[in-house]
Amino acid sequence: MNKEYILIAFTENQIGVLNRITTCYLRRKINIESLKVSESSIKGISMFVISSYTSLETITKITKHVSNFVEVLEVSYYDSNDLITQEIALYKVASDMFSGSERVDTILNQFGARMVELTPKYIVIEKTGTREEIEATRDKLDQSGNLIEFTRSGSVVLHRKSIDKILNNLIQNK
Amino acid sequence: MANTKKVKGAEALLLSLIAEGADIIFGYPGGQVIPVYDSLYDYSTRIRHILTRHEQGAVHAAQGFARATGKVGVCLATSGPGATNFITGIADAMLDSTPIVCITGQVPAAMLGSDAFQEADMVSMTTPITKWNFQVTSASEIPGAIAKAFYIARSGRPGPVVIDITKNAQIEEAEFSYEPCTYLRSYLPTPIIDHSAIDSAIDMINSAAKPLLIIGQGIKLSNAEQELILFAERGNLPIASTLMGISAVPNNHPLFIGNLGMHGNVAANRMTQDSDLIIAIGMRFSDRITGDVKSYAPNAKIIHIDIDLAELGKNLRVDLPIKADAKEAIQLLTEGIKHVERADWFTFASDMDAEEKREVTDNCGDPKGEYISMAQVVQQLAIAEESNAIIVTDVGQNQMFSALYSRFNHTRSFITSGGLGTMGYGLPAAIGAKVGVPEREVVAIMGDGGFQMNIQELGTIMQENLGLKMIVLNNSFLGMVRQWQELFFDARYSFTNLANPDFVAIAKAYNINAAQVSSPAELNKALEELVNAEGSYLLEIRVMAQENIFPMVPAGASLSKLIYK
Repeated sequence: MNKEYILIAFTENQIGVLNRITTCYLRRKINIESLKVSESSIKGISMFVISSYTSLETITKITKHVSNFVEVLEVSYYDSNDLITQEIALYKVASDMFSGSERVDTILNQFGARMVELTPKYIVIEKTGTREEIEATRDKLDQSGNLIEFTRSGSVVLHRKSIDKILNNLIQNK
Repeated sequence: MANTKKVKGAEALLLSLIAEGADIIFGYPGGQVIPVYDSLYDYSTRIRHILTRHEQGAVHAAQGFARATGKVGVCLATSGPGATNFITGIADAMLDSTPIVCITGQVPAAMLGSDAFQEADMVSMTTPITKWNFQVTSASEIPGAIAKAFYIARSGRPGPVVIDITKNAQIEEAEFSYEPCTYLRSYLPTPIIDHSAIDSAIDMINSAAKPLLIIGQGIKLSNAEQELILFAERGNLPIASTLMGISAVPNNHPLFIGNLGMHGNVAANRMTQDSDLIIAIGMRFSDRITGDVKSYAPNAKIIHIDIDLAELGKNLRVDLPIKADAKEAIQLLTEGIKHVERADWFTFASDMDAEEKREVTDNCGDPKGEYISMAQVVQQLAIAEESNAIIVTDVGQNQMFSALYSRFNHTRSFITSGGLGTMGYGLPAAIGAKVGVPEREVVAIMGDGGFQMNIQELGTIMQENLGLKMIVLNNSFLGMVRQWQELFFDARYSFTNLANPDFVAIAKAYNINAAQVSSPAELNKALEELVNAEGSYLLEIRVMAQENIFPMVPAGASLSKLIYK
């Protein structure tokens, strides 16, 4: 059964690692839903967060495959329940939306968002939340006909257990 | 700490290769590696460069060299088309775990990404088919990159590494000192063995009534041949080999029961299906070995020992996966193993051998005896060479007949493109093997199709005066495809027949002694001439046009559905 799996990998911050990891998905024809690479809490070590819809068997194979790569220090896959996952989204909406009787603050509160930029033509609002929350807001704005542009950060995650501790041990042991 | 001195990047590359003991390289010059070739001109006494006739020839030669010697093979090519001509060999080495370091030139760093003349993005292209790759853009990076390349290529599960060196990095000067690479914090090539798993394995083996030891190339790669035999003898375990494992155990060893898989021996495949315990070491359960995985070894528990974690459970369900170096695991297993008689199990093996002889071997070849059979050639060659030659095959029927009927006394004697199935592999790989172990007899067995895919390498054989023996099994067909067309496509021989040139004349044009034989009565004499020839020799053998290789497990079928004719 396919469901969302999030692969988290810690790697040396070296050129080509991203390409090597994504080939594991590409060769199995699996679409990557979101991908984030940034420096982890340890300098020189990158953290990859890759979300995809696939089967348990496939994500297990991908994880083993990725673990073989020379630059990979640690890799595991997670169910979305294992992780605290948040995304940031920016929505550019038409200023007209706020020209009615309702106050701007009321609308923003309703969406759990805050204003980032205000111009006569458009307003940019920012929202942090789960993917579902972000998508729900997007749908509402879209249906109202006011959404001009939309962008999402991809998942920013923290494990409920401490991954960095595992990583620190790993580096010391090697 | 080594002394430092200032040298050009090209010279730093050669000094690094020498430091790694890589004093033989296969290559082909071109615009973006001229600086390296210029340095080679000064180093010709310390590095032997073998000029092939095509970059594909160079990479396959490096593979053949690595397979025959156990050392890392090295090949060198220019950027762009030179580099892309390596790709087939790199993919081949990836699937067959062959340690090679491929060095490619690249356009100057300042021109990267500009679609410069002969620019090809070699790092991107080879990412999925290399164990590691790296682009060097300054001379100071060269020693470190080469050290890492050799360490990664040969350690753990070996594989191909590509080092792409921009032209400016070859010309610039930098301080040179060489430190071999022995450790990378993110890379742990030698697994730590789970001793409780070893204990479980010992219990399972000691209590098995019908165990079958299945070995792959991992035995050769970890130099575990002697340990394996000791282990099998102590436990009284029958040994079957994958295509890649052939020659790790001598054919005449009493516990060796033959080859597995699509064109394996009857005993090996039937015993797989009848076994209650498979102990698989250094192999990867390829689809050519398992047939239909759902019906594979239905009565057996499976212990799978491999150095590569990704192989454990990849293709089929394993009851006891053990991530380990083959040699280390075998030594630990041997400590606890008990001798168990299992007379019935060995009787079954000899019954199956008799069945194969009766149903297949005795019937193979031309019933009228007018034409030479490929099976007969390989059998007679094994006798003529007294099972001591290195056999390098191409791909197709020639390969499967060679696997089935060759006989070996020594390990690392069967060199073939197992995973990728690369036609054109045989001739250049045999060149590499002969260069690597010149004291041994090396025979390339090829079909007329595969021979013509890298026939230009006859030039290399001529120039290097290699003393390589070559057999072309000429049936004027792409035989294996023709066999499948006969069996599965109503004998519709779509584009599988070849109009061939005069191979003897071609060989002679390259100053290589050659002969042709077509009569079964003259075969032995012709093979004797090949064996006794001084220097290189090509024997074209006209074989029957439509011979099939059996036994056969049709693709995707259960091993139980073995067909004999």
